[in-house]
Amino acid sequence: MRRYREFLIPVVVFGLAGFLPLFLKTYYVHIGILILIWAYLATSWNILGGYAGQHSLGHGLYMGIGAYASTYLALNFGLTPWVGMFVGMAFAAAAGWFVGYATFRYGLKGAYFALVTIALAEAAVYVVSNWKAMGGAAGLEVKYLGTNPFMMQFDGKLPYFYIILVMTLLAVLTAQWLNRRRFGYRLIAVRENEEAAEAMGVNTLGTKINANVLSAVMTAAGGTFFAQYFTYVGPRVVFGEMVSVQILLFAIIGGLGTVWGPLVGAVILVPVAEIARAELGTQFQGAHLLLYGGVLVFTMLFMPKGIVGLVKSVRSRIWKTPDDSVSAPAPEGGAS
Amino acid sequence: MTFSLSVILQAIASGLMIGGVFALISIGLTLIWGVMKIINFAHGEFLMIGLYLTYFLVTQFGMDPYLTILITTPALFFIGIGIFQVSIKPILKHPQMNQIMLTLGISLILQNLALVLFKADVLSVRTRYTGINYTVGGVVVTLTELIAFFGSIIATLALYYILKTTDIGRWIRAAAQNPTAAILQGVDVRFTYLLAFGMGSACLGIAASLLLPFYYTSPTVGLFLGLIAFVVVVLGGMGNFLGAFVGGLIIGLTESLGAAIMPGSLSRVLTFGIFVLFLLFRPQGILSKRQS
Amino acid sequence: MTPLLEVKNLTRVFGGLTAVGDLTFHVDSGEIVGLIGPNGAGKTTCFNLLAGALRPTSGSVFFKGKDVTGRKSHQMCKLGLTRTFQVVQPFPDITALENVMIGAFVRHGSTGAAEAKAREVLDVVGIGHKADVLGRDLTLMELKRLEIGKGLATEPDLLLLDEVAAGLTPVEIDDILALVRRLNSEGMTFLVVEHVMKVIMNLSHRIVVLNFGSQIAEGTPAEISKNPAVLDAYLGEEEYVA
Ligand SMILES: Nc1ncnc2c1ncn2[C@@H]1O[C@H](COP(=O)(O)OP(=O)(O)O)[C@@H](O)[C@H]1O
Ligand SMILES: [Mg+2]
Repeated sequence: MRRYREFLIPVVVFGLAGFLPLFLKTYYVHIGILILIWAYLATSWNILGGYAGQHSLGHGLYMGIGAYASTYLALNFGLTPWVGMFVGMAFAAAAGWFVGYATFRYGLKGAYFALVTIALAEAAVYVVSNWKAMGGAAGLEVKYLGTNPFMMQFDGKLPYFYIILVMTLLAVLTAQWLNRRRFGYRLIAVRENEEAAEAMGVNTLGTKINANVLSAVMTAAGGTFFAQYFTYVGPRVVFGEMVSVQILLFAIIGGLGTVWGPLVGAVILVPVAEIARAELGTQFQGAHLLLYGGVLVFTMLFMPKGIVGLVKSVRSRIWKTPDDSVSAPAPEGGAS
Repeated sequence: MTFSLSVILQAIASGLMIGGVFALISIGLTLIWGVMKIINFAHGEFLMIGLYLTYFLVTQFGMDPYLTILITTPALFFIGIGIFQVSIKPILKHPQMNQIMLTLGISLILQNLALVLFKADVLSVRTRYTGINYTVGGVVVTLTELIAFFGSIIATLALYYILKTTDIGRWIRAAAQNPTAAILQGVDVRFTYLLAFGMGSACLGIAASLLLPFYYTSPTVGLFLGLIAFVVVVLGGMGNFLGAFVGGLIIGLTESLGAAIMPGSLSRVLTFGIFVLFLLFRPQGILSKRQS
Repeated sequence: MTPLLEVKNLTRVFGGLTAVGDLTFHVDSGEIVGLIGPNGAGKTTCFNLLAGALRPTSGSVFFKGKDVTGRKSHQMCKLGLTRTFQVVQPFPDITALENVMIGAFVRHGSTGAAEAKAREVLDVVGIGHKADVLGRDLTLMELKRLEIGKGLATEPDLLLLDEVAAGLTPVEIDDILALVRRLNSEGMTFLVVEHVMKVIMNLSHRIVVLNFGSQIAEGTPAEISKNPAVLDAYLGEEEYVA
């Protein structure tokens, strides 16, 4: 049992979180779902951005693929999103492999990798906007069926809450698993020093591509859930720059390359942003994004390792305990 | 859709005009990148500030749009300097990705501040220059586009002149090539960075005043124009002044020709496609030689 | 018996500069071969070519009898040829133990086994007590030892050491030489680049001398120290202490 102990904490934490909706009003359950969606997506991004140090600014691409694949298949072929999700993940795997191969093969890093990923997601916005079968710029609406578990549709919020809770748990377990496995160590080696990693037997190209694929596949599943929950997909809504930015925002603010960072970031920020949106949104559209921008600037200026990184360093300064987990890095640049 | 010669010629003319402005916008970005290796993701939002400023000067004070250059240029210069001092200077030595995230944060702030203050409305101005066209061989060119094109070229040449002949230019070039050597030559590198950031931003003040009479402003206008600036800068080679100018014209032409021959907004796919191909196969840009 | 490593007419040109030109030599199993030459002679480039970090312009490399020309670094490492870096290359944000574990994962799939191997290696290179210190917090001496440890952890048949003595005090140098000799007596083969002649003369069974990318001499330390071409190449070099 000892070797599974590392997974115990996430399971307990998420198990306890599962009781929360029983005491909360619907509106707070909705906020809980939003927290989990972003935590899930940020955790998926973190595998590539935080662990492997490759900062994709275009994860909306994979999110959009997942959202559109399941929605399109459900609308046109009546395919259940439970299966559509996996179709989307397969497409995202192909896209992730292609993007990873194309960029990493040519040694793109840092800012250059960031720019290519932005451009690809942005290109996807325009491709889909002009694609009639995909609903063009208007997007696609998920057909309303009332409660229908088979089609991943429910009238209430609770089922959605538990679906995304389990998904996020799985994502966190994946991160936890990476933390103490060969593949995870290799991701970190690539992030820390590619040349040295390569000399020590790490296939850096393959490792980066795999990280991109894993991250893309997980992100796509989030896209399907997103589409089902909001019952709508549109080019800007799922592929757009704001999606890509928000995905990485929570990981960076919470703590790059840490298991809990993305979740912590989302738990702290999403409720504040949602309340800002609810209270000020009609009068001041964009108030919550303003907040995100401010917090991002603050984080970069005063705690570049994010909340979890800060807590760790404070803890180790007070107790002088050696840090036994893989510590969070400052994001590495490396272009040119 | 007809691909008649006149349509193509018209597209080329319009493409060159807007391309001149793209060039001016991008030169600011490439200057900042070339000198301090910072990729300013808020560049488009700085331009947006300039556009709103021009808009209010024209609509509230009845200023001539081209006279606003006298205000927007110094305004953007000082806004740039201010933002540099409080946020970028402290993290000059941090990893490049942190700097990118910081400027991304700034762009979020500015974009949404504009949304909060001015709502999502798309605003444009009518001035006494509006509606004046010239027709040459079937190709229509508006006066506002023409002024923007030549204005951008003059501004670019002026900046080039400053960089080539003045002391400030000499510091900037020294700091860009080798900060350590520049310090040894007695150049105050921090101050030079500050100036370069201010000048790169000031370009956007000029560009904004030239652009607004035939363009528009909205909180998200910087998103697209900022991305275009990135495309142009990569095309021209990061930090390459002349390259950014040529790149601006090329992207102007691509956008305009693409829109003429492709349905909907598919031309954007072409623009970003070129961008990706350049990043992959010619990251040093069109004009530079390949280093091994 | 085929040599462990065989280098045939190896050449690498940078623009107009021939950093390594027509180099031919071999390393037998169990040997310590020294590769020396003045600054800029092409030693590091040679390592980069052998370890797969650079592609040769022409010529070939055979390892364990197999043509491995143009293989990538990680492939060479898996085949049993690992290099260390002249400028130490630690992973700064993870611990010394984890640094070495990355190497150990080449032969061990499970984290437990890799960690055990890494602890063993850290003890061998004498920084076992620093296991939990971050790469960025180690001293130069510890980093040099870590660099060797990272190489050893991949359990190579041939370890390429690039200027491990540079920047160390004589006592520290003796420590490292003793370590290399011990590992060699346990069967590991070494190709050692060293700028400091004294070190290489002490350590090597055989020496290959480079100048301007080409081999100018080969032989035992005793032969090399009397070779007029070698003395010529090193004339005026301050580190020359025969
Ligand atoms: N990547 C490279 N590009 C261009 N020239 C290089 C490169 N690497 C090494 N050189 C040149 O090749 C020559 C040999 O360098 P190097 O192998 O580092 O010498 P050593 O290690 O013997 O001091 C030097 O003149 C060096 O400047
Ligand atoms: Mg060397």
